[in-house]
Order: sequence, then C-alpha cells, then structure tokens
Amino acid sequence: MNVAQPLIHIHDFHMHFAAKKVIDGLSFDVERGETFGFLGSNGSGKTTTIRALLGIYRPTAGTLEINGKVFSDDFGSRLGYLPEERGLYKKESVMDVMTYFGRLKGLSKQEAQKFSRQYLDRVDLADKADLRLDKLSGGEQQKIQLGVTIMNEPELLILDEPTKGFDPVNRRLLLDIIEERKDAGATVMMVTHQMEEVERLCERIILLKDGRAEAYGTIDEVQNQFGGRTIKLKYSGTINESPNYKITLQETNYAELSLAESADESQVLRELIGSGLAVSGFVAAKRSLDDIFIQIYGDPSAAHKPNSTGPVT
Amino acid sequence: MARHNLGTVVQFEFTRTVKKRRFWIATLAIPLLLGLVFALVFASSSSTQSRTEAQKSQTVDFSYTDASALIDPAIAKAMGGRIEADPDTAVERVKAGTLNAYFSFPASLVTDPVLVFGTDQGIFKNGTYDAVAKQLVILSAQDKVGSPELTGALQGNFDTESQTFKGGQPSGGLDTVVPPLLFLVLFYVVIILLANQMLASTLEEKENRVTEMILTTLNPTTLVVGKVISLFMVGAVQALVFASPMAVAFVFFNDQLAIPDFDLSNLQFQFLPMLVGALLFIGGFILFTGVLVSIGAVMPTAKDASTVFAPVMITLFIPFYIVTMVVSDPGSVIVQIFTFFPLTAPITAMLRNAFGSLDGVSATIVIAELFIFGVVALRVAVHLFRYGSIEYSRKLSLRTAFSKKS
Repeated sequence: MNVAQPLIHIHDFHMHFAAKKVIDGLSFDVERGETFGFLGSNGSGKTTTIRALLGIYRPTAGTLEINGKVFSDDFGSRLGYLPEERGLYKKESVMDVMTYFGRLKGLSKQEAQKFSRQYLDRVDLADKADLRLDKLSGGEQQKIQLGVTIMNEPELLILDEPTKGFDPVNRRLLLDIIEERKDAGATVMMVTHQMEEVERLCERIILLKDGRAEAYGTIDEVQNQFGGRTIKLKYSGTINESPNYKITLQETNYAELSLAESADESQVLRELIGSGLAVSGFVAAKRSLDDIFIQIYGDPSAAHKPNSTGPVT
Repeated sequence: MARHNLGTVVQFEFTRTVKKRRFWIATLAIPLLLGLVFALVFASSSSTQSRTEAQKSQTVDFSYTDASALIDPAIAKAMGGRIEADPDTAVERVKAGTLNAYFSFPASLVTDPVLVFGTDQGIFKNGTYDAVAKQLVILSAQDKVGSPELTGALQGNFDTESQTFKGGQPSGGLDTVVPPLLFLVLFYVVIILLANQMLASTLEEKENRVTEMILTTLNPTTLVVGKVISLFMVGAVQALVFASPMAVAFVFFNDQLAIPDFDLSNLQFQFLPMLVGALLFIGGFILFTGVLVSIGAVMPTAKDASTVFAPVMITLFIPFYIVTMVVSDPGSVIVQIFTFFPLTAPITAMLRNAFGSLDGVSATIVIAELFIFGVVALRVAVHLFRYGSIEYSRKLSLRTAFSKKS
C-alpha cells in the first residue's frame, strides 16, 4: 500500500445517461484517514459518482480508483457502504441478515454473530435479533443497516446521506460511530446536506453543481474562496456603501457584511464609526457553509467562481 | 473469497427458503392432497371390489325368462332364481313389491340388452341385480363351452411377449423409451416448481433495495450462480416430498389404487439415450434459468415480469401439441424447427431422444446449442442484474444495459 497515494482518486470523470450529461469532467482525491464531505444539491451527481466509483455504474469516461485500482468486490471486505437507497432482506430475521452480510464481508459465522449481538445490544435492539426486519420500525431498520455497514470494521466508509430519515437519537449514534471509525484511522467519505455535520466531522469538502466541482478544499479554503470573512453588526443609523465591504444581510439594527479581500476588520470598524454609525455589537466571523451552500445553489446568478486551490476542474 | 461467498450465498438462500413455514405448507399441500385422493380412491376401490365380490356370490330372489336358451336353470336356481311363470305381469308385480326382481334375457345377448327389474334397495345395492344377471350369463356360458382354456382365450386372459429388432439388434420397445423420458418429467418438475422462484429471487434484491449493498460486497455472478444452485436444491427437496406419496402408493397400495402394474425390472437403461437425456436436461435447465433470471433483472416488479414470463413458460408446453408428429414423423419441418429453436428444443429433443428418432448429429447440435445459449443467457442475466437491478422502480432499457458505456 502506497501511503502517499490517495485512497480515492477520481480524474476527469464524465457520466452521461443517454443524451443527459450528469457528470462533466469531475476530478478530486480523498486522502487516507481523512473525513471528506461530498456536497451538492439534489441531482448534482453525488450518488452517481459514488455508484460509478463502486462499479455499479460504468463511467462514460475518466478514472475512478480506490487504493489505486478500479473497484472490485475484492475490496468489499474493506469497504463499508451505506447507500442512499436503503434496504435489506425484509423477510429474514435481523440476526440472519447480519450474519449473512458479515460472512460475505469475510467474517466467520461466529465473528459475525458476536459482532451482531454486541451491536444490537449497543443500539437497544438485542431483544429483536430473531424478529423479521419488516417487523421493525423504519428507524430500527436504519440502525441494522448501519450495523451491517460497519461490521467488518471497514478502512473506507462511504456514506450517502447517512442521517437521512434518522431521528436525533439515531443521528447522534451514527455520528458517534463515524467518529469512532475516524479515530480508528478509517477514511470516511460522506454525502450530506447537513452543514453542521460537515463542519463537525470533515476536514475537506467538495461542492458539486451540475456535475462539476464548484468548490474543493479544506473548509477554511472553501470559506475563503467564497468571501470567507464576515462581520456581524448591531447598530443604529445608516450603513453607507463602501468598496471595503458588501452588505449581504440587513435587518432592523442588524447587518452582515462580507469583507473585500484587501480590507481588514479594524479598518472597516473605523470606517463605519467614522461615517456616524452607532455600533453596539461587532463580531468578525467566517461565512458559514450554509451561507455558501445557499449562495451556490439558491441563486445561480449569485454564485462566485472559486479561487482554485486544488485540482478543481 | 468468491468460492467462500458462493457457499455462503447457497447456504443463505437455501436455508431461508426451507426455514419458512409457507414453503412447507405449499410443499406438503400437494402430497397431502395426493394422499387424500389416494385414500378416497383406496376406500372407493375397496368398497367397490368387496361389493362386487359380495354381489357375485350373493343369492337374490328373482324370476326370469330366457329367450336365448343360454341360461342354465341349475345355475340360476343356485343363485336364487326361478323361471317366471307369468311374464306378462312380472314387471307389474315388481312395481307392486310382490316380486323382488325379474330378469328378461333376450333371444340375442349380442344385439339386445338383458332387461332387469327390481325393487329399490338403495343406490349402492341396486347394482346387485345387474351383477347377478351378468354373473348368471357368464357362468352359464362357461358351462356351455366346457373348457377353461377356451373361456380364458375368449376373455383375453392371456399374455404376449414381443421382441422387435433395429439394425440387427433388439430395439427394446417401450422398455427403452421410459428411462430417457424420466429426464423430461424431471425437467418439467424442476422448471415448473422453480420458475417463479427464479424470477422472484432476482426481483427480491431490487424490490428490497438491497442491490447496492450486495453489489459492493459480492460479485453478481457469484450471487446469481448461488441462487441457481440453491433453487435446484430446493427443487430437489420439493420433488422428493412430492414423489414420496406416489412411491408409497406404488409399493404398498398398487392393487387397491388400480395403478398399472409396471414391471420396473424390464426397463432398459441404455447408455447413450440416458447420457443425451441428461445433457439435454442440464442444458435446458441452464437456458431456462438464464432467461428467467434475465427477466427478473430487467423488470421492476413481479407483476411486470409476469407479462414476459408467461410466453417463456408456454414454450415448455407447445411441443406437446405436435407430440404425435414428433413420434410418427420426426423428419417433418415443424418438428425440426421445434428441435432446434432454443426454448422448444429441450422438450422436443428429449421426446425424440426417448423415441429413438434423435440421431447423433442432431443430438450433438442441440446439446451444444443449449449449453451455448444457456451460458450466454446466464452471462446476460448477470450483466442485466448488475446494471439492471439498480433501476429500482423502472424497467431497464436494454439499449442502456448493453451500450459500451452507460
């Protein structure tokens, strides 16, 4: 294993469904041991990319590799994949299904059953081991699917909207499990629309729009690409226009200003006070990912083109 | 990993099928039903036989007239009969209940019926009158012939042993036809029992949205092959369960159930026809399995699949519409078409093989064709499963599935 080599490498990936272009020259890497956020609005091509990466779709063009090779089921025993479309064998018992998948992932029957019992105990489903899956609630089935995903202690976790349909308790459980896997050195690639999850877990992210990378890098880098510095202001009076900032939000006695690249916070504060504004609160912050997400996907005309800091195409 | 996973898939698929209560209810329902039918036939047969025996030996009070001059008065007397002194009023007396029964034997028993009149004894016992009248005629005729040999000859109570030759060798007759036909029966049993399960088993991954989990864990070829093997094992279990009451009936209740008395020791198991039959069976099984799995992979639901499933299954039965031609005129164009068209080939070729009209070249071509098409169908099935089962709620476009790139 070449540790310098990214675990996931995607280069110039194109995907067409008949005449429809879904992915258009996408390139990015996921480094070993990092937690990577794969973001984008619905229909932007995230699930398609994951399916192509895992050999479920055939790419129209491009390179998609895991550990330096095109995915094959040989890597299945090292992979934990929680797909967007969830489902297991609903007519079978919880224990039978978990044991089956455990064995397919390379565990012995005893190992699979031991893990299953411990996991079911942890998620308060120990008494339902012999029930058929369709006798469990939707949330309980999600827990089982999550257990199946991690039962082989995967070195790569790919989670497609993992918290979709989860209640807060299950969501907490899932995030704890992701953190555990992360602490154990696993690489995690997750698709999510929950920006607080991204900010909590991810080191780097990519934002996909219409099959192309709109932003790519560490969270700091992406925030900087999209006018990262913001001032939250409580005031009375009138805020004048200035080349040093742009007013991005204005309510009664409250405003948010996006700073120009050359401006600094103290200079802007002096300018505001100098213009006669009564400033009662002043907080310098970075733009939230939520804001950036809304900027990119909420209003197409308002989207900034990022300052490229990585292999974004 | 692949071999290990194949065993895991086979074990999971087989175990989960045979563990289900529904499977055993459905499987046991047929032998139970057969057992019930056999029991009814047994009871009915025993009752009829004992009644016939009783009626044969029964004495019934009756009078008779005999225009044929065949009836022996001594025999009639022994059976409870007497010559009717007043034939004109006999029927009226039976109606009035003063005479139990009256038989009128015509001048010619060949052209005219024996008229039997009797007082009502209930629906079952009323048959006694006919039985006694017939027995009286038979015993009187035997008495007149005076030779058990002639009587036996007249009644056809004798056996024949025939021997035919083909190419200077004994051709064996029906005793050589039956063994290769067993493959035909087995083929029908396996396909009919398993076809729905083949279709449903591949649809299940799609309907349960489990495809992505499976395809990232397991090679689709391993999954499909594992399913086919487990289905075959399930079919074998079902066939054994179904066959058991028939075997019990054949061995222990042969006479009571009026089962034809096959002398199995006469069956001739000839090597080549048996080998060809076995190869046709295996090739046909692979072909139909591949086709059915492909249908399951393309269609989003069992309901949608049924529209394509039905025509495929009909091809199993079409050859029986020309079975007489298959036997009597195997060289005809229609038989040749059915012999070589892949979906009708297994049945037609198995019939021809059993009846000795499938020559070596044709057999080789059909077997090769079935194996080649079967393997191609299985590969197509795996391909369609891989790229079709992800289309959860819609029918797969074959054009998309077979395009070089999606």
